[in-house]
Amino acid sequence: MKITFPHMGNTYIGVKVLLDSIGIEYVIPPLCNKKALENGIKHSPEFICLPFKTMLGDFIYGLENGAEVIMNGASCRQCRQGYYGDLFQEILRSIGYEHKYININLHEMSFDNFYDNLRPYAKNLSKFKIIKAMILAALTVLSVDKLFEAANHIRCKGTKIGSVDEEIKRFRDKVHKAKGYIKISKLISSTRKKIKLIAKNNKHKKSLKVVIIGEIFIASEPFTNLEIERRLGNLGVDVYNTMSVGMWVREHFIHNLIPFKRKNKVTEAAQTLIHTDDIGGHGVDTVGMAILYSQKGYDGIIHVYPFTCMPEIIAQSAFSTIQEKYGVPIMTLILDELTGEIGYQTRLEAFVDMMEMRKQMKSSNPIYAKDSG
Amino acid sequence: MNVSQTITSKKVTIGFPKALMYFQHGTLWEAFFKALGCTVVISRDTNKTILDLGVRHCNNETCLPVKVFHGHVLSLKDIVDFIFIPRYISLEKNAFSCPQFCGLPDSTQLNLKGNIKIIEIKIDLRNGMVKTQEDLKKLSQILSIPYETVKKTYSDIIGTTPVDNIQPRIKSITKHKNVAPTLIAVLGHPYMIYDSYLSMNLINKLSALGIIVVTAADIDTDTKHKNAEPFNNRTFWSMGFDTLGSAYTYISQPTLNGIIYLTPFACGIDSIVTEFIERRLRNKSTIHYLKLTMDEHTGEAGFNTRLEAFLDMVQVN
Repeated sequence: MKITFPHMGNTYIGVKVLLDSIGIEYVIPPLCNKKALENGIKHSPEFICLPFKTMLGDFIYGLENGAEVIMNGASCRQCRQGYYGDLFQEILRSIGYEHKYININLHEMSFDNFYDNLRPYAKNLSKFKIIKAMILAALTVLSVDKLFEAANHIRCKGTKIGSVDEEIKRFRDKVHKAKGYIKISKLISSTRKKIKLIAKNNKHKKSLKVVIIGEIFIASEPFTNLEIERRLGNLGVDVYNTMSVGMWVREHFIHNLIPFKRKNKVTEAAQTLIHTDDIGGHGVDTVGMAILYSQKGYDGIIHVYPFTCMPEIIAQSAFSTIQEKYGVPIMTLILDELTGEIGYQTRLEAFVDMMEMRKQMKSSNPIYAKDSG
Repeated sequence: MNVSQTITSKKVTIGFPKALMYFQHGTLWEAFFKALGCTVVISRDTNKTILDLGVRHCNNETCLPVKVFHGHVLSLKDIVDFIFIPRYISLEKNAFSCPQFCGLPDSTQLNLKGNIKIIEIKIDLRNGMVKTQEDLKKLSQILSIPYETVKKTYSDIIGTTPVDNIQPRIKSITKHKNVAPTLIAVLGHPYMIYDSYLSMNLINKLSALGIIVVTAADIDTDTKHKNAEPFNNRTFWSMGFDTLGSAYTYISQPTLNGIIYLTPFACGIDSIVTEFIERRLRNKSTIHYLKLTMDEHTGEAGFNTRLEAFLDMVQVN
C-alpha cells in the first residue's frame, strides 16, 4: 500500500528518506500550489486555519493518485492542529475517499510511535531498521535546513537576482526523483556548495538583517507565506527563519532522547511576559524569540501566522511592549487564501525602507541608537 | 502577579469582569473571595461602551468575547484594588481550555499596558494542585491571611476545579414529548449565549415567543462527554466536550425542533466543533439548524431577520 503525506516546507525531503530507508512506497503530492489549495478549501470549514486547507488538498491528490494510506502528524493540546486528523478522516470519507490513517505524535516523537505506525506497511520492518531510518531522516532534515539557511543569507549577496532560486529550483526537481539517504545528501551538499559560490565575491557585503518568527507551518511553507524569504532576499535583506523543520526535530525528537531536562532560553525569555509554559502551538516561542532576537542585532522582525491562529494572536499582544523596550520593529503579516500578492509585496518593501531609514539615522546621529534593556 | 505591596488590615476589593468564565463559575469564585473577607464588585452587563473600550485595546484578530472581557476589566480598574483573572489551562482530565484562557492574565496586562493589578489563580490539573497552591500562597500574602485558611476555603468552596454553576432551564427534555410549544436548543460558548448584549438577547427573544429553550446546561456532564464523538475518551477542549456532546445528545432527541448555534467570528474552537455538528446534522438528522456569527459590526436588524426566517421554517414544519 502506498502512503501519502502533506507538504510543509521541506519536510517532504526528510519523509522521503525515512520511507525510502524502510522500503515503503509513497505518493508525494506536487509542492503546495493553487489547485491543491482550491481542492482543500472546497471541503474545509471556512474558518479553519490555512494549513488544514493545503494539507487536505495534498491528501486528496495523494488518494487520487494511487495512495491508500494518509500520514498525518498531530500534537493534541490547546491549538487546533491536534484535532485535524479526525476532521481529515471524516471529510475524506464523506467525499468518497476510503483510506487508512497513520497518526504520528509530533509532540513527543519516539521510535516506538513510528515503528507501531509504519510496521503494517513495510515488509520485515525491524526496530533497528526504523531507528536507522529515523536517524537518517533527522540528519537529512538538519542538512536541508542548513542548505536553505545558506540560501537565505546568500540570496541578498548575489550580483544577479534569481541566481540562488535557480539553484533551489534545480535542487527541488532533482530531489523529487532522487531516492535514498546517500543520493539525497549528496545532492544537498552539492547544491549548498554551488549556492556558496554565488556570493564568493560579495561575502562581506553589509545587508539589512531580518528574522522570521511565528506559526511554524506558514513560516516554513513558501506557498503559504508567498515566498517571503525570496521576496526579502531580492530586496537585499539577509533573512534568518527561526521556524525551520530542523528546529522542530531538535526540540521534539532529539532533545526527548536526552535523559535530562535542559534550559530552554526561548521559553525563559518568554516567561518574563507570558507567565505560563504553553498557550498552544508556538505562541510562547514567538514571544520568546521576539525578545531574544531583539537583542541580537537584527534590524527587524517579521511575524507570520495564518488567519485565526489563536496562540499567535495572543503572542501578538506582547509586541508593543517588546518593541518599546528593545527598539527593534516587529511587523505582523497574517496570511490566508485571499492574501493579495501586491499588497503583501508593498508591505515588505515599506518595512525594508523603514529599516534602511532607521539604520541611516542611527549611523548619522548616535542619539537615535537605542540601548537594549 | 503584578503587586508591589501587600495590603494589610484593609478590606480588599476584587473586581470580577462579567465576561468569559464569569458565566460558568462566577458565583463560585464570588463565594470564595467573600469567604476570605473581600468585597467583590462585578462589572455591569456588556454594553456598547464596554465593547468599544475592549475593541480599542486589543489587536483586530482577537475574538469578540476576549475584546469584551478587556472592556469589562477597564470599566472596573479604577474602582477596585485588584481584578480577578483566573488562568484556566486544564480544568479536567484529558481536557484543555482555549489558548485565550491559558494566556488571559498576560494578554490582558500587555494589552492594557501594565496598568492593572491582577489576582491570578492557575488551574492546571495535569499538575494536580501544584500551580494552584502557588497562587493561593501569593493570595494569602496579599490578603494577610494565613495560607492554610486560604487553602481550606478554596478546598471547601471550589474543590479541585470549579464546576459550572449555570442553572438548567428545564427538568427533563423528554417531558415535552408531543406538547405544542416549539423546543429549540441554543448552543455556543456560555459567554456568548448568556451575555444578553453579545447574544442580542436571543434566549429571551425565543422565550417571549413561547418557545422552550434548552442549552448545554440541561444535560449532565457524563452524558455530554460520552456523546462527544470522536473525542469521547480523548483529549479535547472542555468547551468542546460540552458543546459537541450537547449537540449530539440533542440531535438524537425526537422532540427537538431546531438548533441555533451562536458563534463569535473566527472562533478557533467553533471552527472544528461546528463542522462536526453540521456534518452530523446533514447526514443523520432533519432538525433545522441556524448558525449565527457575531462580531462587533453585527447589526440587530439583520440578526432578527435571520431569526424570524428560521422560526418560520421551524414552526411551519
